[in-house]
Amino acid sequence: MNLRAFLGTCLGIALLTVVVLAAPAGAVQFSLAHGANGRCLDCHSKPDLGTIVVNGERKSLTVDENMWHDSVHSRLDCTACHAGFQPREHTAKEKDGWYEQAKLTACSDCHADQFAMYSGSFHGNLVMGERDKRAPSCADCHGSHGIISNKSPGFRASVLHMCGRCHDEKSGTYLDTYHGKSFRMGAMSTAVCTDCHGHHRILPQSNPDSTISKQNVAATCGKCHEHASTRFASFLVHVDRSTPRSSIWVWLMEMSHSLLIAGLFLFGGLHCFMYFYRGLREGLYARGEH
Amino acid sequence: MASIETDIQGEAAAFEPTPMAVPAAVAGHTHFRRFTAFQRWVHFFIMVSFSTLVLTGMPLKYSDQVWAQRWMGVIGGVQNAGMIHRFAAIIMVSCVICMLGFFARILIKSKGHFWGPGTMVPNGQDYQDLKAMVGWFVGKRSRPHLQLDRYAYYEKGEFWAASAGVTIMCVTGAMMWYPQLTTRIFPGIILNFAIVNHSGGALLAMGFVVVFWHFFHAHLRPEAFPMDKAMYAGGLPLEEYAHERPLEYERRVREGTLDEVLVAPVSETRMKVQNVVWWIITGAALFLWAVFTLFVVWVTVNWIGSF
Repeated sequence: MNLRAFLGTCLGIALLTVVVLAAPAGAVQFSLAHGANGRCLDCHSKPDLGTIVVNGERKSLTVDENMWHDSVHSRLDCTACHAGFQPREHTAKEKDGWYEQAKLTACSDCHADQFAMYSGSFHGNLVMGERDKRAPSCADCHGSHGIISNKSPGFRASVLHMCGRCHDEKSGTYLDTYHGKSFRMGAMSTAVCTDCHGHHRILPQSNPDSTISKQNVAATCGKCHEHASTRFASFLVHVDRSTPRSSIWVWLMEMSHSLLIAGLFLFGGLHCFMYFYRGLREGLYARGEH
Repeated sequence: MASIETDIQGEAAAFEPTPMAVPAAVAGHTHFRRFTAFQRWVHFFIMVSFSTLVLTGMPLKYSDQVWAQRWMGVIGGVQNAGMIHRFAAIIMVSCVICMLGFFARILIKSKGHFWGPGTMVPNGQDYQDLKAMVGWFVGKRSRPHLQLDRYAYYEKGEFWAASAGVTIMCVTGAMMWYPQLTTRIFPGIILNFAIVNHSGGALLAMGFVVVFWHFFHAHLRPEAFPMDKAMYAGGLPLEEYAHERPLEYERRVREGTLDEVLVAPVSETRMKVQNVVWWIITGAALFLWAVFTLFVVWVTVNWIGSF
């Protein structure tokens, strides 16, 4: 074999290697950017596609393209979560039971750690153990097509509303605390639900592993409040001042304050109003009486 | 004097003091010094810090309201407001400490002052005065000319209400400022109590002391309208004072201590400057009064509506 033939063979092998290795990558790139998702969006970007009921909640079949493109997951195939869906009118076989399956597996394929924490949580147990359809799975807090980073201010700002959909009373009493008031006033670094209760692995107070259990609550407060003790943490965070059922002592104090304020305002108001009225009627203001 | 005396009806007018010869030690000292410079400066700093505390605290209390959120934006957000609030609180606490020192001095130096006729402690005469005024308000009698010593019943009432209020606000505020330290001694629920008291006390202070009481008696009462200048100028003409507080005047003449509190009126030029400042303060005070009054009306309507 002469030198020329040898070099030609080497070049051929090299070219072949490049093509063999690069082709699938190119194909995947093609499919992610324009291929399969484009075919889904052919229909699902139409605004008048109608609605379906998922888990008792009416949802639009239209996907907000902009929201989807802005989200971290826009690099994924639609079918990464909507497994088994074909680009045509979907059959009952594809649709039925898909959500029940997807909410358990769609996220955990990539986010196994988070899913493991969630599985051991109160919420996870409700969903997987007790099959409670109202209990939250991943998408109920994180959303689906418009998932944004949990580090983004938008996500943090939405936490209160997110938890409040079920824990309405708790978010109400939270808003009555300094944390809640300043959070609502835009101080985003203030503690919000997840800072004290945790996120994926939320456990009831009675569980020793909970962030707010007797054993852990001081450490939880201590994340922000240096040297926080258990006694410091015994401050009643979720207390409704307007009812004795929440805390009889706080309610009594609130009521006595309200009565004191009402009484003094009434006395002061009448005193100065009548003084003013008599002064006007007897012309004391007009005369510049001193 | 004469024209004023004819306006006064009712039996109280009979006790109008007969003008006595003024034992003026220094010629030209025609004004009665009601408040010393120290007292007026303390009052000024309390006024400024109180307004600041209200303006930075109230938006947090009413954080669910749009006006509160807007205003919080104007003053630079919660953290900023909290810093200003604490700074103003330090000024107010300093004023309180000054006042405590002042009271201690009174108690030690001038024996008998605390329980004497010029006292701040309410007594039977104050009850009689209040009764006479209420009688006038409801039309049962003609306008009384109160025989006042140094302080009227409404000033005494305000003094004790404000003292109790400022104590509660300082204590509860400090508790919330240092919650870790507080809960070393007390259980955590003390912080819940602190919040209720601080928030309720703030509304009470603003509404009662400012809207219904202090502003009214210092600015809007017919005898003072548009502003009682004693706290601003320090002194007021002796005749005016003798008419307004006959008992103190008589007492000082009797004891021969009148010239201790007589001062010269301020100079013409200074008066002109002062008058400009005075109109600014009065205008601002009346404006704030209107705003606070509207606010308290709004709070009251909401409160009644909540039942």
